[in-house]
Amino acid sequence: MPKTITEQNLRFLIDALIRDGKRVVGPKRAGTMTLYEPLGSGEELALGQLPRRSAKEAFFPLSEPLLSFRKDREGVTVTDVDLGRFPETVLVGALPCDAAAPQIMDAVFSWDYQDEFYLQRRRLTTIIGVACTSADDACFCTMVGLSPTETRGSDLFLTPLEGGGYACQAVTDKGEALFIGHHELFAEAAAPTPLPPARPEGGPVDLAKVKAWLDEHFEDAIWEEVATRCAGCGACAFLCPACHCFDIVDEGTAEKGVRRKNWDACAFGKFTNHASGHNPRDVQNKRYRNRFMHKFKYYDDKFGKTLCTGCGRCVRACPVGIDIKGILEAIMKYE
Amino acid sequence: MCDHGKNIYKPHLATITAMTDETPDVRSFRLEFQDEAVREGFAFRAGQFAEYSAFGAGESTFCIASAPTRKGYIECCFRAVGRVTEALRSLEVGDTIGVRGPYGNSFPIEEFYGKNLVFVAGGIALPPLRTVIWNCLDLREKFGDITIVYGARTEADLVYKQELKEWQERSDVRLVKTVDPGGESPDWDGRVGFVPTILGEAAPSAENTIALVCGPPVMIKFTLPVLEKLGFGDEQIYTTLENRMKCGLGKCGRCNVGNVYVCKDGPVFTAAQVKAMPQEF
Repeated sequence: MPKTITEQNLRFLIDALIRDGKRVVGPKRAGTMTLYEPLGSGEELALGQLPRRSAKEAFFPLSEPLLSFRKDREGVTVTDVDLGRFPETVLVGALPCDAAAPQIMDAVFSWDYQDEFYLQRRRLTTIIGVACTSADDACFCTMVGLSPTETRGSDLFLTPLEGGGYACQAVTDKGEALFIGHHELFAEAAAPTPLPPARPEGGPVDLAKVKAWLDEHFEDAIWEEVATRCAGCGACAFLCPACHCFDIVDEGTAEKGVRRKNWDACAFGKFTNHASGHNPRDVQNKRYRNRFMHKFKYYDDKFGKTLCTGCGRCVRACPVGIDIKGILEAIMKYE
Repeated sequence: MCDHGKNIYKPHLATITAMTDETPDVRSFRLEFQDEAVREGFAFRAGQFAEYSAFGAGESTFCIASAPTRKGYIECCFRAVGRVTEALRSLEVGDTIGVRGPYGNSFPIEEFYGKNLVFVAGGIALPPLRTVIWNCLDLREKFGDITIVYGARTEADLVYKQELKEWQERSDVRLVKTVDPGGESPDWDGRVGFVPTILGEAAPSAENTIALVCGPPVMIKFTLPVLEKLGFGDEQIYTTLENRMKCGLGKCGRCNVGNVYVCKDGPVFTAAQVKAMPQEF
């Protein structure tokens, strides 16, 4: 029989996990918006609104130390970050577009070299996803092969029910472990009736066709047409669940300092600037072209996946109105 | 490749044991790893690069310029042109820097056995080929004729000047050195002309020959047609691409040319591969 959980018990589950010493991250009200933040109690969980930023910060912080260094009379000492110190985490209330992204990013962070800063956090995190019952006109998960009820990427998946509460599905062993560890909070129901899922506009896009077009159209008028206006603000990259470019910088002096890994964005003007002053992507539309190509062609070429989950945050945030789903639709019309 | 342990971003510590000012703004370092296991075990192939740290300033990407056949030390060569390279240049013999690597692919030296080699380099692009040159000279009997065409804007801009003398004096190497018109001094004993032009005049045979070319984009642009005219096919020509890098190991998303990551799929490419890339480098 399918398992269910009441609204109340979901919050008790969060309290229990916190008591167990786990870090619980979930959508939390922050002024007028909702953000994925560490929760102090089950009361703080605020479902029903798309968090402004993605959940990638749970695995890939905006800024993190990689090592520290110190110089004294004996020479230089480099001190490692303790990679065993990341807390066990439960990410509760991840929308399907946010839950599906880490699985996509796993490929690049484990490509030959294992980035333990990301991978360790992934191992230690259990994701509880929740189906969407509403969408706005920027949402386009259905265009990129996902949906408001997609369970891919979640360990446990909650579907809102008529009358309140959620149907619960263990997608992985980690999800199953939550049932076992907190079985008293779950009930069984013969035929729970889910609320109707959200219906984002826009049917599925033939991503293979888009990639085939991109394979041949690195040079094309479309890039100037859609992206000359790009302001290079980087909001798209920072809000995106799948963007993962970063910078490595030293802070401090030669005597004492820290080396950090910080978010970066290919939208920024100096991203590919050589020390000589030569810049392979010297105008903004070339930088936007790289973003689009990376998501819909290069990541597929390298890892067999599309680097976009259709969350629509870039569409909502772009100050100059660049609409990535509009570009997908335009490409679909060619040929 | 040395095990970095769990933290792939943690560099090995190396001491600067010697340095040379190759030109007024180009310096080379000889480096010895401080950890004995690393010193004994560090191995790399010609063409690979490393990330060199000036702690406090950051990391910079240069090829490993010494030959892989020489053990116990590595060398690098760089132009002081920004914050990190200026910080590196401010260091002294005995100081410590960080080294992460080796990264990238390499020249397939074994596939060159039994062939003639033509090296074409310009200015500060000699170091990536210098590693191959010494690798091959250390195994001289495995290769046919070795020709080196190397030039710079002026005499002062030539790097590895001492080694140019050694190559010139060897009977088993043909060195053709040149400077741009106007770059010669009164007692310059080499040629005068741009590298692609001098290469055309030296006219090495393409028969059973591999060409290795390294230089600024403008030099490569004019050298490839010269090689083509001499009969070199795109699979016979190797070059290295450089791009702004940070992680050096395929994650930070900075160095890609189209779907090619210079740090993982390169930096060594054949001319055929370069021509197939979108021209954004």
